[in-house]
Amino acid sequence: MKTVRIVALREERKRLIEHLQDSALIQVKKHDKDVDGFSRVDMTSQMQIFERNVALTEQALKILDEYSREKTGLLSSFKGRREIDPDEIGVIASKSSEVMRICNNINELNRMINENKAESIRIKTSLNQLEAWKNLDIPLNTKDTSSTAVFIGSLPSVYNEAELTAAIARENPKLEFEFEIEYAEDNMTCLVLFSPISQKTMAEDVLRTLGFSRPMSPTHHIPKVKAQKLNKKLLDIEEDNAKAVKTIISFADRREDIKITQDYFRIRADKYNVINELDHTRHVFVINGYIPEEDCEKLTALCDRVATCYIEFGDAEDDAPVKLKNNSFARPAQNILTMYAAPSHADIDPTPILAFFFYFFFGMMFSDAGYGLLMVIVIGIVLKVFKPDRRMRDNLKLFQYCGVSTFFWGLIFGSIFGDAPAALYNYFTGSNVTMAQILPWPTLDPQKDALMLMIISIAFGLIHILVGMGCKFYICLKEKDYGGAFFDTGLWMMTLIGFAVLAVGMATTQIVLYIGAGIAIACAVGLVLTQGRKKKGIGKVIGGLASLYDVTSYISDLLSYSRLLALGLTTGVMAQVFNMLSTMFGKSLMGVIFMVVILLVGHAVNIGLNALGSYVHTMRLQYVEMFSKFYEGGGKEFEPFSLKSKYIKIQEDK
Amino acid sequence: MFTNGMFFAIVGASIATAFAGFGSAKGVGGAAQASMGVLSEDSSKFGKMLVLTLLPGTQGLYGFIVGFLILVNCGVLGGDMPTVGQGLAFLGASLAIGIGGMVSGFAQGKASVSGIAMSAKDDRNFSKAMVSVTLVEIYALLAFIVSLLVVISVPALKI
Repeated sequence: MKTVRIVALREERKRLIEHLQDSALIQVKKHDKDVDGFSRVDMTSQMQIFERNVALTEQALKILDEYSREKTGLLSSFKGRREIDPDEIGVIASKSSEVMRICNNINELNRMINENKAESIRIKTSLNQLEAWKNLDIPLNTKDTSSTAVFIGSLPSVYNEAELTAAIARENPKLEFEFEIEYAEDNMTCLVLFSPISQKTMAEDVLRTLGFSRPMSPTHHIPKVKAQKLNKKLLDIEEDNAKAVKTIISFADRREDIKITQDYFRIRADKYNVINELDHTRHVFVINGYIPEEDCEKLTALCDRVATCYIEFGDAEDDAPVKLKNNSFARPAQNILTMYAAPSHADIDPTPILAFFFYFFFGMMFSDAGYGLLMVIVIGIVLKVFKPDRRMRDNLKLFQYCGVSTFFWGLIFGSIFGDAPAALYNYFTGSNVTMAQILPWPTLDPQKDALMLMIISIAFGLIHILVGMGCKFYICLKEKDYGGAFFDTGLWMMTLIGFAVLAVGMATTQIVLYIGAGIAIACAVGLVLTQGRKKKGIGKVIGGLASLYDVTSYISDLLSYSRLLALGLTTGVMAQVFNMLSTMFGKSLMGVIFMVVILLVGHAVNIGLNALGSYVHTMRLQYVEMFSKFYEGGGKEFEPFSLKSKYIKIQEDK
Repeated sequence: MFTNGMFFAIVGASIATAFAGFGSAKGVGGAAQASMGVLSEDSSKFGKMLVLTLLPGTQGLYGFIVGFLILVNCGVLGGDMPTVGQGLAFLGASLAIGIGGMVSGFAQGKASVSGIAMSAKDDRNFSKAMVSVTLVEIYALLAFIVSLLVVISVPALKI
């Protein structure tokens, strides 16, 4: 990684920056402090306009989706972005204001629909309230006459006429009154009560004690008329909404345009964001950035072609971003690495090692020739048909390589869709053969030789850990930290190897056992002598002895690899269970139908569950067991200033 | 009644399957509730949430496999009729994954819930959450391997 500084004329700013964005060669440094004699150009307001436009189009697309769902296939998420020609950008720009009008229109219509919906709920509530008063032939807000007080309202319990008369008489026997019950249900009695105006306060008191309340929204219309009016309004609103929805749906065929316009604004917002970071004088401006070493010439050529400018390259400091470069075998695993952390300047790029072990362990856990072949073929077809974007393509390639490994491990374990070939053969011929008898090559059956396979798993684990420690050894040598290399890492590596030799010796001859024990003891002594070297006085001895305790962590790391056996076995046994279930229904037509259905569903479930398990556990073995030995991480990934778009991909000029 | 070990073997198969399944069911159930809470806010996280939700599900699988292998070896789905001693050995073997699977299922479920909360806040936490949750799994695995090694060697035992 190099640093780069480009000084160019202000009048060529637009042209140069656009070309830099197209070429995606450099990452622009964030502006940290002002330099004397330079000023910055504030582009925030322009950026905000573009960002608002992006938000508006996003909202419009969401609304469009709500009313007319975009038809997407099951596999469409694999599909790459549509490619467009750079010349088309001009067309997009010229159409953008019209598209924005459509988006505004959609958003406006949607707002109206929502308001109308709220209004119609309000109207429906009023209608419900009016329902109780539908037989009343005077308005709800009828006032007192000169001789009569009028009370229209409700009481909080159900009365019939006799009960109400009695209740009122009980409260105040002197009160003269006349009433009409309009509605008496649901813990509520709606009534109209008349009394002489002279007794108005008396009547009010009585009613208050009974819990009388006036209607919420009294109107000057007769309830029936009011209800008719409200109903008419409701119809109007619904009609309006239907019309608005229709208008929105009519924009559905502009969806593509909206997406493209959104990307156009997104790209422009990015551009202005970069201009914000630049130092300007009256006539020139300066771009500070990072560039991968191999792209320097390309950048020089580009700048010479499009603008008059001065370019200066320098050595990058430690916190510069890193760009991972890997061949096609290792590149798919880069995503796995960056999910953990990008390498810092002190790290080596462990992707090739990671890739190899990832494919290897995944295969060992998933371990079925049929599933592996299926993965390879299906992913091959998806890659051919959908032409996915780079990130998705890498992910798919990762699983394709895993599939190859799965295939071979499946052959070793003698598992092809579990024991499907044997089970089907037995089903149709009634004989009783096993996979081991069918397959012409010797197999290692995890169910029968579990102990053997566990030893193999742990042996692979030892190799994995040793490779990780080897990386640490290499890094220490590179940093000229010889103590770290030979004492901290080398001695432990030799100790582990010593134990391994000792284990081999236990199974074979005494001599090997003694050699192993010898190595282990010698290294242990070495560890005791060296591990306290950074401490003082008595700490030297204690530090040395205490470091031997680390052996427990190595043991637990190694045991962790027994999951290779466990998950390998899980896939095989689950497949076997489904094969067994499928052949249980006898040899009738129905039996065969059941068999096919159970085989399809069962193996699909098995693939789903165990592929997930294998993926997760392979990752864990890499992250926890191996990376902990040497990998620091904490670097930043190189993110070039480029055309970042969501829906379209702009082809580069060739 | 106990002239052979079939009954003990079947009890063992049930213990392995049911108890480990109990642990997983509780773990996955809790994680699923948490992940649905996240999904109600942002349904695009479905894939990641699914992974974290399914992690405590393996205990049930291990239990089922031990149960299945017992059935295959004890004369129900194949193999020879076990002696009483062999039946008791099957029963003993099932306890490892039964209890280990159940308790680690609970624990992993709780870890999953926290992992879901963590990656709901920031997508970049996902891989860390995932790895942390699988740390619990090693104990279920060890239990499983013990059960497994016993179950596959019982038919050869003369007890």
